[in-house]
Amino acid sequence: MSHQLPPGFRLERKSNTEEFFINMGPQHPSTHGALRLTLRMDGETIVEVVPHFGYIHRGMEKQAESMSYLQYIAMSDRQDYLTAIQNNLGVVIALEKGMNVGVPLRGEYIRVMLQELGRIASHLVFYGCFGGDLGGQTCLLFGFKEREMIHDMLEEVTGSRLTTNFFRPGGSRYDVPDTFIPRVKAFLDHMEDTMKDYERFLSKNIIVLERSIGIGVLSKEDAIAYGCSGPVLRASGVNFDVRRANPYSIYDQLDFDVPVFHNGDCYDRYQIRIAEIHESMKILRQCVEKFPTEGPWRSKEKPVRLPVGRYYSEIETAKGLYATYVVAATTGEKPYRIHTRGPSFPHIGAINKMAQGHKISDLVTIMATLDPVIPEIDR
Amino acid sequence: MGIINLAPKILDPIPGGKYVVNAIDYVVNWARANSIWPLTYGTSCCAIEMMSSSMARYDIARFGSEVFRSSPRQADLFILAGTITRRMAPAIQMLWEQIPGPKYVIAMGACTISGGPFIYDNYSVVRGAQNLIPVDVFVPGCPPRPEALFHGLLTLREKILKETCRNPWHEGEPKDVSTMDRYREAAKTWAALEEMKDEQMAEARAKFKEEHPDYKSAFKPIRVKKPDFPEVERVPAKRFGMTQLELYTKLHAKFPNVTVHTRGEDTPEDVVANLPADCPLEVMLEKEDYLNVVEFVKNDPEFKMDYLIDVTAIDYDDHFDMVTMLRSLEIGHKIFLCVQLKKDFSIDEEKRPTSLLASVPTISHLYPGAEIKEREVYDMFGIKFENHPDLRRIFLDKDFVGYPLRKDFTHPEMIRRPI
Repeated sequence: MSHQLPPGFRLERKSNTEEFFINMGPQHPSTHGALRLTLRMDGETIVEVVPHFGYIHRGMEKQAESMSYLQYIAMSDRQDYLTAIQNNLGVVIALEKGMNVGVPLRGEYIRVMLQELGRIASHLVFYGCFGGDLGGQTCLLFGFKEREMIHDMLEEVTGSRLTTNFFRPGGSRYDVPDTFIPRVKAFLDHMEDTMKDYERFLSKNIIVLERSIGIGVLSKEDAIAYGCSGPVLRASGVNFDVRRANPYSIYDQLDFDVPVFHNGDCYDRYQIRIAEIHESMKILRQCVEKFPTEGPWRSKEKPVRLPVGRYYSEIETAKGLYATYVVAATTGEKPYRIHTRGPSFPHIGAINKMAQGHKISDLVTIMATLDPVIPEIDR
Repeated sequence: MGIINLAPKILDPIPGGKYVVNAIDYVVNWARANSIWPLTYGTSCCAIEMMSSSMARYDIARFGSEVFRSSPRQADLFILAGTITRRMAPAIQMLWEQIPGPKYVIAMGACTISGGPFIYDNYSVVRGAQNLIPVDVFVPGCPPRPEALFHGLLTLREKILKETCRNPWHEGEPKDVSTMDRYREAAKTWAALEEMKDEQMAEARAKFKEEHPDYKSAFKPIRVKKPDFPEVERVPAKRFGMTQLELYTKLHAKFPNVTVHTRGEDTPEDVVANLPADCPLEVMLEKEDYLNVVEFVKNDPEFKMDYLIDVTAIDYDDHFDMVTMLRSLEIGHKIFLCVQLKKDFSIDEEKRPTSLLASVPTISHLYPGAEIKEREVYDMFGIKFENHPDLRRIFLDKDFVGYPLRKDFTHPEMIRRPI
């Protein structure tokens, strides 16, 4: 009997048991937003997963054509809202390349410190959701507790908790207040202790170990072929971090390691994020020490007008490689086209590779460790 | 609550019965208003603030709403956290229908109130949740702070406490006015109000001028003096791997048709040599060379472009520029391959916006990650990828008409941005 498969499925039928299809999403707590997955099941084993995107496609790239460059910075907040402050920098670096303006040292330190705070905040949400998806709701409370401290600092500096819209070509909107550095210090001291709790709570938890070791293995070759980046790529044994590979801002002057794990399973993807929180704290400690108390925090303000050309920037957000491609067809304040490459899109593209042969509950673990943000995929 | 709603009919005629009805109201409202269980639903930024509000710092449990239900059948409250797109709209209506009554809806954030930042030039966002389902409370903000959400929750509580079984909760009727430009409508109303005020004040103003002929306003605009910032020179980032010129000459030697964008009398070599260190090399290709070049740069030991960053396109009047961004993880250099695809103008002018205007071979057999990226380009630009294993629309519905990122795209629901 030949039956037609739903769109997207293409594996040849192998087993003799009756296969069935399950729809997961778009409103499902563990798809991290409006993502829909259709699963082809053989009993309780996943044969094939097909992701369906577009449930939160907001047409940002179309809107960007009628916006000014500065307005698009606000759009970048709403792509990956967990790392909004990092996305701002991605757009701004592309604009700086076009305008050919630099940033004074104090401005660069402000940038790097906020970047790393944003990275920790995003990884804390990962920690919470990972624990939550495995059934430990306490982790959610844990992760969000420290995240609120970062939000307080972000609010003090940028004026907003989540959608920061902070960086501008040549620096940032405001200088940091005097209380910022002591607050960061206090946060780091607090976090040092708390991280021990965090790790004690999940890293050697038998439920976590059983449900994540050997689950959702992504080989090194596949990770590269599918264009994965960030923690997902580094958990598969590839040492690629834009902060090292193409250093932007002052990352080349700072001393930090790029953690790399080699198994490519869910547990490694969890561990790598914990290791990255430690590395971010290491960077923050250096910044707190070296932070220039005097000096300008931004360069001379200029109208944001880009000459004709194409400008590309890439940064390492908490999720991975975030690239912005700006096309200016006429010299002026409006772009011809802006394209954003978000890190989560390729990760979901590779989900079929990871989930095949596992159970549905493992798919939930895999989704949690990919840590996708759907509005950034759909834009 | 059918039986309770019958209470006024039975009890009101009895002497003293209305006090019993009031007592029933009090008990029912007390129960309803103090345990409003929300549905776990969130699409974008507002969902994170909704999560924050349920966590330790803000603690939504103080208002009896900590039990987020994953199933709509157990929920009372539908917090619409995040933008609603046309593709998501049927799902939202279905979720709302599945919640048992009495059910309440909070529209959280600017997007669900009016479309927010996505009002203009947009073809996919529903401008306001009230076009889909009846909304009880609107919480403004982008995104609203947790405190704002609590204010919305308390407002809803007040609303519930006012309900009686004499005038019981009923399901509202959704309206459909989604193409309305609320901002411009409101601006018109404000302008009319200002004009009316001007007319009313005209007499008083004339009188004041007569009485005080030499009056001068004491108001002085405050000018904050901005500090002088120095001009800072941009330091391009370090380069890894081959220089752009080396990449270009090697590629040019193998494929003579490869060029770069030139302006004026510069030779391609001059242009490439003058590129800043952190500006990737972007070369122009012929469509026929595309697959060969990609295969060459992927397998050549000097290039080793094993990592696909992205595939995107740009629409011009008579052609598309399709840009394939590649990098080498091992060596560290990048190369952007820009293929000019002439638009097929043999198609009737009327049919052009809805038909595929160009085609190019797929590279998804070389880079599996290219598959979804090419689907995106197909969806947004209408470029056909030959031999693609699964060429479907990715972000938009399969019956969507037109290709949004083309410059001549029009959509009946789209409102132009005022300039």
